[in-house]
Amino acid sequence: MIFTIFKKELKDTLRDKRTLMMMLVIPILIFPIILNVFVSISSSFSEDAATKEINIGFVGTPDNYLLKQIESIPENLGEKKIIIYSDSSALKRDVKSDSLQVGMFTSVSFNDNLTQKKPAEVIVYHNVTSVGMEQRGRVYVDIVKDIALQERYLDMDLKESELTPIVSEYSNVASNKEMIGKLAGGILPYIFIAFGFLGCMYPAIDLFTGEKERGTIETLLTTPVARWQILFGKMGVVVSSGLLAASAALFGLFLSIEVLDIVENEELLSVIHGILNLKFVLLMFGLLFPLTVFFAGIMIPVAVYAKSFKEAQSIITPINLVVVLPAMVGFFPGIELTPLTASIPVVNIVLATKELIAGTLEFWLLGISFAVMIAIAVIAVFISFKRFDKESNIVI
Amino acid sequence: MIEIHNLRKEFALSKQQRKELNTSESIATAVDDISFSCKPGRVFSLLGPNGAGKTTTLRMISTIFKPTSGSIKIAGVDAVTHPREAREKIGFLTGSTGLYARLTPNELIKYFADLYKIPKKEFEERKDYLYTLLDMNHFQGKRIGKLSTGMKQKVSICRTMIHDPEVVVFDEPTSGLDVITAENIIELIKNCKNEGKTVIFSSHIMSEVNLLCDDLAIMHQGKMLYNGEMSTFKSEMKSANLTEEFIRIVKSSNAVEA
Repeated sequence: MIFTIFKKELKDTLRDKRTLMMMLVIPILIFPIILNVFVSISSSFSEDAATKEINIGFVGTPDNYLLKQIESIPENLGEKKIIIYSDSSALKRDVKSDSLQVGMFTSVSFNDNLTQKKPAEVIVYHNVTSVGMEQRGRVYVDIVKDIALQERYLDMDLKESELTPIVSEYSNVASNKEMIGKLAGGILPYIFIAFGFLGCMYPAIDLFTGEKERGTIETLLTTPVARWQILFGKMGVVVSSGLLAASAALFGLFLSIEVLDIVENEELLSVIHGILNLKFVLLMFGLLFPLTVFFAGIMIPVAVYAKSFKEAQSIITPINLVVVLPAMVGFFPGIELTPLTASIPVVNIVLATKELIAGTLEFWLLGISFAVMIAIAVIAVFISFKRFDKESNIVI
Repeated sequence: MIEIHNLRKEFALSKQQRKELNTSESIATAVDDISFSCKPGRVFSLLGPNGAGKTTTLRMISTIFKPTSGSIKIAGVDAVTHPREAREKIGFLTGSTGLYARLTPNELIKYFADLYKIPKKEFEERKDYLYTLLDMNHFQGKRIGKLSTGMKQKVSICRTMIHDPEVVVFDEPTSGLDVITAENIIELIKNCKNEGKTVIFSSHIMSEVNLLCDDLAIMHQGKMLYNGEMSTFKSEMKSANLTEEFIRIVKSSNAVEA
C-alpha cells in the first residue's frame, strides 16, 4: 500500500512544473552558473589587476632614486603612468577616490639616506577596495629595493650569502586534494544540503497542505489504508525529491567539469575528478539520506498543520534559514569533525563531507555523525506521525 | 446498513478558537448523543442548518473522525474498533471533493482501485460498467485539471463507486454545483437506491430531500430534533411545505433552548 501511494505521489509530483523547477532545473544549472561566474570574475580580476594601466602618484624630488628606478621598470609588468605630486594630502585624496591606484611618498632626504647607507623610507598608499593594487605597488617597490640592495653589497664589497646566516624554506606537505577539501570543501555540502531542503519543500507542502486545500485528503482517508501508510508513502516522495535535487546538483557539477569545461585550473580539476567517484557519491548520499528524512520530518508537521500553501510556505521558509545556516560552518577553515561537532546535526554532514573531500575522514566520527542523523530523523518521523494522526490537523 | 447508537463527538478548543467562538469552554460538543439507522435500499437524509453537526456525523461514519463515545456499525462491521474493514464497505463523496488535477481519470480510478485492493479482472469490469454508465470514455486519458466541472464530477462519482460499496455517504453532494452537474449526483443516488445500497446524504436543499429521501433526521446544534420516515414527516407537518416545516422545527428548538 505504501508503494502504491508512493508511486502515485511521485507521478503527481513529477508533473508539477514548480516542483520540477526547484527539484531538477535549478539544481542542475546552479553549478555551471556559479562556476562560470566565479571562474570568469576571478580570472578577469587577477588578469586585470596584474596588467592594466595604473596611475602612480609620487611625492619626491625629480631626481629621486625610487622614481627613476620605477620609471625604468619594463612595461611587461603592467603599464603605468607616473604623476608627480607636491604634497601627500592631495596624493592620499586621489588614491582614496581611485583616480590614482598607488601613491608613493618619499622624504626630501631619501636620496641622501641611500647614499649614506641609511634606511630610506617610502610610504605606499593604496585603496584596499581596488583589488590587486597593493600587490602592484609592492612589486614595484620590491624590485627597486632589490636593485638598491645589490648596489649596496657591491659598494661595501659584501656577498649576499655572507649576510644570510640562515636560509629557511617553508614546504607545504598537504596535497592539493587536502587543501581544497579543507579550505573550499564546505561549499559542496552546503549546496547539496540547501538543495536537499528545497527539493523536499515543495513536495512536502503540495502533498500535505495542498491535498487539504484541494479537498482530496478526505477521500484518501476513507480508503482502507492506515494513516501511517499514507504518511510513509508521501514521506517517501518528499525524501526522494530532496535526494533527487541533491543528485541534480551533483549532475550539474559533473556537467560543468566534464561537458562544459568551465574549470581550466589543472590542480582544481584533478581534485574534482578525485571527488567524482562512486565511493564519494555513495558516502555523500549515505549522509544525505538521513538528512533529507530529517528535513521531511520537520516539514511534514508544518505542512500538515498549515491550512493553505501560503501559510505552509511562510513557516517553512524561515526554517530553511535555521536548518541550512549551520551548513555555512563548512566555509570556515579550521573547524574540523570532532566527537562534539559530529553530534551537531547538519554541521556533522558538512564537516564529514569536507573531510571526505580532503581524504582525511575518520570512519568512527562518520559513524557518530550517521547515528546522530538517524536518531533525529527517527524523532522527526515520529513527530510527523503524531501530527498526521491528529484529526484537527488533517481535515480543514 | 448503518446503525448509530448514542454517538457523541467533542473537540478540544484552542485558545484561538475559544476567542473566535466567544466562549470560555475548553470543549465543544459537535454531536450530542444521537442514534439512528439507515437501511439498505433506502435513502436517509440528514438535514440541519450550518453547524448542526451533519458533516461531523458523516465524517465519523466514514471513519475520518473517531467518536468520543457511542457506536457505529457499517454493514455489520464496528467502525470504531475496525475502521479499515468498515472503510472497505463505504463510498464517500462531498460537494467539495477535489481530484488530483495532474492525473488522468484512468490513473486516478486505478489508484483508488489499488487502494481498495480490487482484483484486476473485477476492476476492469467495474471500470467498463461505470465509464459506460457515466459516459466517461471520451475523456479518460485527459488530465483532470483540463476537464469541465461536469466531467470532474463524473470522475468523482466513478472514484466513489469503483469498489462497489455497500454504503454510500454523501456530504452536501450538490453544494456548489450547477443544475446539470447536480443532476449526475441525483441520478447516482437513485441508482444506489435501486441497487439496494444504503445511502446517507446531508443537505439543506429541500427539493432534493423531497425527491430522494425515504427516511430523514433533522439535526441542530449537535442534537437530533427529528428522526423518522419521510412519509410520516410529511403527514405530520404543521407548515405549508417542507422548508417552512424545517425552519419551524429548528426555531422551536431554539425557543426551548432559550
